[in-house]
Amino acid sequence: MPVAVPELMPALPEIFLASAAMALIMFGAFRGEDSTRTVSWLAVLALVVAAIAVPVVTQSRVTTFAGLFVTDAFAVFMKELILLGSALAIIMSMGFNEREKIARFEYPILFLFATLGMMLMVSANDLIALYLGIELQSLSLYVLAAFRRDTVRSSEAGLKYFVLGALSSGMLLYGCSMIYGFTGTTRFDVLAAMFAGVDGAEVSVGLIIGLVFLVAGLAFKVAAVPFHMWIPDVYEGAPTPVTAFFAAAPKIAAMALFIRVLIGPFGDLADQWRQIIIFISIASMILGALAAINQTNIKRLMAYSAIGHVGYALVGLAAGGEIGVRGVLIYMAIYLAMVLGTFCCILCMRVHGRMVEGIDDLAGLSKTHPMVALALAIFMFSMSGIPPLAGFFAKIYVFFAAIQAGLYTLAVIGVLSSVVAAFYYLRIVKLMYFDEPVEAFDRPIERGMGVILAGTGVFTLFFFAYPGPVLNSAAAAAAALFAG
Amino acid sequence: MIVQALTFYLFAGITVAAGVMVVSARNPVHSVLFLILAFLNSAGLFVLMGAEFLAMVLVVVYVGAVAVLFLFVVMMLDINFVELRQGFLQYLPIGGLIGLILLVELVLVIGAWVVAPDAAATIAEPMPAPERMTNTHALGLILYTRYVYLFQIAGLILLVAMVGAIVLTLRGREGVRKQRIAAQVRGRREERVELKKVPTRGGI
Amino acid sequence: MVDLWQGYAWPGLVIVAQIFAILVPLLLTVAYLTYAERKVIAAMQMRKGPNVVGPFGLLQPVADGIKLLFKETVIPSGANRVVFIAAPVVTFVLSLIGWAVIPFDFGVVLSDINVGILYLFAISSLGVYGVIMAGWASNSKYAFLGALRSAAQMVSYEIAIGFVIITVLLCVGSLNLTDIVLAQKDLWFAIPLLPMFVIFFISALAETNRAPFDLPEAEAELVAGYSVEYSSLTFALFFLGEYANMILMSALTVILFLGGWLPPLDVAPFNWIPGPVWFAVKIAGLLFLFLWVRATFPRYRYDQLMRLGWKVFLPASLFWVVLTAGVLVATGWAPV
Repeated sequence: MPVAVPELMPALPEIFLASAAMALIMFGAFRGEDSTRTVSWLAVLALVVAAIAVPVVTQSRVTTFAGLFVTDAFAVFMKELILLGSALAIIMSMGFNEREKIARFEYPILFLFATLGMMLMVSANDLIALYLGIELQSLSLYVLAAFRRDTVRSSEAGLKYFVLGALSSGMLLYGCSMIYGFTGTTRFDVLAAMFAGVDGAEVSVGLIIGLVFLVAGLAFKVAAVPFHMWIPDVYEGAPTPVTAFFAAAPKIAAMALFIRVLIGPFGDLADQWRQIIIFISIASMILGALAAINQTNIKRLMAYSAIGHVGYALVGLAAGGEIGVRGVLIYMAIYLAMVLGTFCCILCMRVHGRMVEGIDDLAGLSKTHPMVALALAIFMFSMSGIPPLAGFFAKIYVFFAAIQAGLYTLAVIGVLSSVVAAFYYLRIVKLMYFDEPVEAFDRPIERGMGVILAGTGVFTLFFFAYPGPVLNSAAAAAAALFAG
Repeated sequence: MIVQALTFYLFAGITVAAGVMVVSARNPVHSVLFLILAFLNSAGLFVLMGAEFLAMVLVVVYVGAVAVLFLFVVMMLDINFVELRQGFLQYLPIGGLIGLILLVELVLVIGAWVVAPDAAATIAEPMPAPERMTNTHALGLILYTRYVYLFQIAGLILLVAMVGAIVLTLRGREGVRKQRIAAQVRGRREERVELKKVPTRGGI
Repeated sequence: MVDLWQGYAWPGLVIVAQIFAILVPLLLTVAYLTYAERKVIAAMQMRKGPNVVGPFGLLQPVADGIKLLFKETVIPSGANRVVFIAAPVVTFVLSLIGWAVIPFDFGVVLSDINVGILYLFAISSLGVYGVIMAGWASNSKYAFLGALRSAAQMVSYEIAIGFVIITVLLCVGSLNLTDIVLAQKDLWFAIPLLPMFVIFFISALAETNRAPFDLPEAEAELVAGYSVEYSSLTFALFFLGEYANMILMSALTVILFLGGWLPPLDVAPFNWIPGPVWFAVKIAGLLFLFLWVRATFPRYRYDQLMRLGWKVFLPASLFWVVLTAGVLVATGWAPV
């Protein structure tokens, strides 16, 4: 019986990435452990090729595989960010892994699979495809969190992440099954058509419960309050470059999925989900600002900072509409640069060949490593949202969107919590510039790391001068989501 | 018809009873054995529904492979589960509360149950008539065409699981001599055997 | 009342009669398989074998059976009684219920289900439970080690068996055992799929824990493996179960590769002989191979056994699945 082969072109980058990952497994398995560096660079190359292919294969909104897979300008924007974050994270990992003696060829391959999972999440057009994409990504991340398997902390991080992640997947699936049960379909297109023009109050309560569970599961993946409890331990326990990766790419993918699901099929039920998003957004912003103050470990601090930033990004989602989504997209792009740069600085925190993670260890950095201190200061100022750095614009766009949507409380709370959060960001700057140096960090800094640091630093610093490309493509991406 | 109903209640009853025993059995190995019993009876229920392929796959995969590994682990672990259960009562109130809330929600949901008027139209693929094809055939047709994308991702997830298991547990042990069969086979006679002419009464 | 009789009681009686018609000859065959084993191996080792009880020792299996029946059933004090008793029962029952779907001739089958081959595969994958339960419940380290070995071995070889079955299914296009036999009307699958036939037979040896893969009960290391604590009737059940399993695996091999009840050639002298006889002859031939292998080969080392299963059979059978599928698609021979 002849069977029509589905259109493969739109999914070409994903297919390429999957094939590349499998080919690299074979390469690594036959070449042994000494091939790690080669495999890492080949993985980066594969990501770059995929990044080139993504916009090439996507001219307009296309669905394939019987409508399970969709690609559009929104997907392109998010996938580019994800691929960039993954590639940089692999480059950042290489030196670290070799020093810590955990350099194994499976590491970049798991990165590739995680990235593939994220791309599938971004392109999901069906509840089952959504779930499978999340699982592919999460499973790779669980393993990566526990990658330093000989230390208790890393194993603990992996296990905690796994158990809580499985729980959240369960909630997500429960929500999906409710939605399926009450609508008879898992397809986003069909759901969107079903709800088009429907008054939100008329849909059945079962569907709403399903939607709530779905949102809870997704909130878990972006680590928004009250589903944030895994993130500090996982950030602290996982190897630092893995933490950098966690902070960058999966956040973007989960946020993309959040937007895709809520704006796409459930766009017309906005009144039903908006209050949930507002609640978790406010809770995340406040907790991110307050809980980080007492932290002494820089990785834990970054974890709480991440919670806060997710809260700000969700402000844009709560605002909804093209402007709100555009705000979220810009926020995620700028956040990616800031967080990767910050983790580059954290990866430089090495005394006598041993990693240190205390915030106090940064004291007097300006005297021993002026350039690193300058970069870190830029990122901290930017994260706290001080003009004219990039982080300021990120916040401006989401808050404007909130105000335009009439969510004044949200915007006010956002600004207030930014002020509180500025306290701990600026404390780091104060430590670096005004305290007496403790022990100097090891020199020299790796070349790849230096390049990333410089690149992200320049982007953060001079974003205001030339914001066009990011703003325009984010606007195009947001528009694509509302076109269909 | 009555035989079918009786069989159904037999299978369903044993499944539920075995499920209860899985949770309440004191010995963990017994729990796993009851789990297997529950699987087998669920397979029986599948057969009653005419889903013979699913029934057999349930037995092959869950009973024949997954539960064996379960049993392995439980037998080797030697955990005192009674001790683990000590804190159970302490968490009973909150657990019970959550259970109650979920139950109330479910009741609410079922109370509000309406079949969407256009649900029938949205069902992706109508089921073919049973006399036209077996359900193995039908499953294969849909799994490898319409859902090939999901099928492949599921495959990738399993691959990642395998890679992850190996990464996290495989350790190259020092001082273990491995048999290299290829090297053994490649060996030539001259390398292994040395012929010596032994002189009479001389020894070597 | 008539309805009840016609609708339920009579068919039920028929089914019970059919079950007996299968089980009684089967158990007799099992008994005489043990006799044949001793005789064949004796002949290969230039001995006489059993020759005291009855003419040519033909009553030896009966004597053995009676001896086992009248011995005392010893249950070790540390054993888990229920599981200990259940284990041999499970083994025995599983070795019998597989016969429900075996076709002895066209239409001569107790239950002609759609997924017959999957049913047999499921039954054989359950076989591991009898062993592992016995090993654990005995509360003895030899028994437990034997059970662990056996379980790992059976699970490993099952995968290869599964892939071999898939190659056959690809050529047939049905999971029904009768269809599988009928698809071999012109050519037995043993010829085009010869490598798979060999792999299947060797895996069947491993699956039934027969020499040279009888590590689970390796006397020299493990006393007698998982059955070391069993005596009397419980041991007899294990023993019967293992031999019945051998016959079942042979029957499965015949159905998959040697044309079931079909004669080798559909011409005059061959097709006078009825199908069940052909079926029995083929099974007997394979059983002879089982015994012959036991008399010939030394036991495998455990790591070699695992290597053979995972590193040789698994890739080879997987490759053959792909090859078969490719050939079938390329040539258009694939059954719809």
